[in-house]
Amino acid sequence: MAQTHDHGDHSHPAAPMVEEISDFEILEIAVRELAIEKGLFTAEDHRKFTEWAEQIGPAGGSRLVAKAWTDPAFKARVLSDGVAACREIGIDWAEPTGQGTPSDYMELRVLEDTPTLHHVIVCTLCSCYPRPLLGHSPYWYRSPNYRRRLVRWPRQVLTEFGLVLPPEVEIRVEDSNQKCRFMVLPMRPAGTESWSEEQLAEIVTRDCMIGVALPRPDRKADDVRPVHKASRPVGGEHHEPGGSP
Amino acid sequence: MPSRSELDLLYQIGSQLAPAIHQAQNWPYDVPHAQYEASLWPPHDVGGQPDAPVRYEEKEEEQWELDTYVTCEVLGWKGVWNAEERRRRGNNDIGLSLYYDFPYYGRWVLCAARMLVDKNHVSLLELLEKIAEVKARYGKP
Repeated sequence: MAQTHDHGDHSHPAAPMVEEISDFEILEIAVRELAIEKGLFTAEDHRKFTEWAEQIGPAGGSRLVAKAWTDPAFKARVLSDGVAACREIGIDWAEPTGQGTPSDYMELRVLEDTPTLHHVIVCTLCSCYPRPLLGHSPYWYRSPNYRRRLVRWPRQVLTEFGLVLPPEVEIRVEDSNQKCRFMVLPMRPAGTESWSEEQLAEIVTRDCMIGVALPRPDRKADDVRPVHKASRPVGGEHHEPGGSP
Repeated sequence: MPSRSELDLLYQIGSQLAPAIHQAQNWPYDVPHAQYEASLWPPHDVGGQPDAPVRYEEKEEEQWELDTYVTCEVLGWKGVWNAEERRRRGNNDIGLSLYYDFPYYGRWVLCAARMLVDKNHVSLLELLEKIAEVKARYGKP
């Protein structure tokens, strides 16, 4: 896009619009390249992990919940050993290294909601989240605000997410930690009695498994929230080691 | 080397970033044992701290953020650092100003860079030269 700008008495074409690379982008490239140059890991290690990190998402959790809703024996296994139950739906917590990721210890507890008990998860220490099953956490989940307020004012915070629970429903906040990850198993909503597992999975959104929303037969996506766009989003322009801008 | 006016600007911004403290801290002559222990083991969870409602929004992930996540994880995978070093020391035990002033993955990438130097995988000079080289490569002044 050709642009001009004024210098009072004259104007000339500006340089092409190239958004300047940020300090964090520079530091990231520097660290990655140095680690590879020093033999701490290989570009192939990085690529392999990236491949895994790009394909995780909440769809795995949705399948787990839908299967638990339709198969009581599976649900019992989900509640007794979450990581083993994940293998049954094709999610192996040992990926991508053979021993899991260095952050997501292979321990998952699934919290079952009842008519009088609702669960919601947080990590007040940092950002623990069941990545292999739900993908990367949303930024608000990591934010100091959510972490500060959810444990003290859970009912109010849930209301801010659009989830108003009757006073007789107890809210239990589970504080995730380094050694154990949690996920919410919400109740199957009325009106879905004849649905298939695939149909059910569609209404189990990410927010339902964090516990800030409830599944509804008429909703296949999380409530629309404002989105802060990235300057250079994942999957767009990529600064490869040794590459050019 | 930053110029005098650049330094002034940094100090000016920095002084505004310092969080409020609840107990005067001014190099006490003596420290009671309980305070000694508390100082060595500062709490890192923020659960229950006061805050006002905000608008929760979704944030699209930057490519560098995913790359940072992967780099830090692969460094862990290859045994270059462990969770204690990364999380408690590197990501959290960095002072409140930096903790709250950097984006989530900004803290991650900074502590990875510091770790490479602290563990003598690279010298500070190598790191600075690499940063300068990357800056030049992408035309950043």
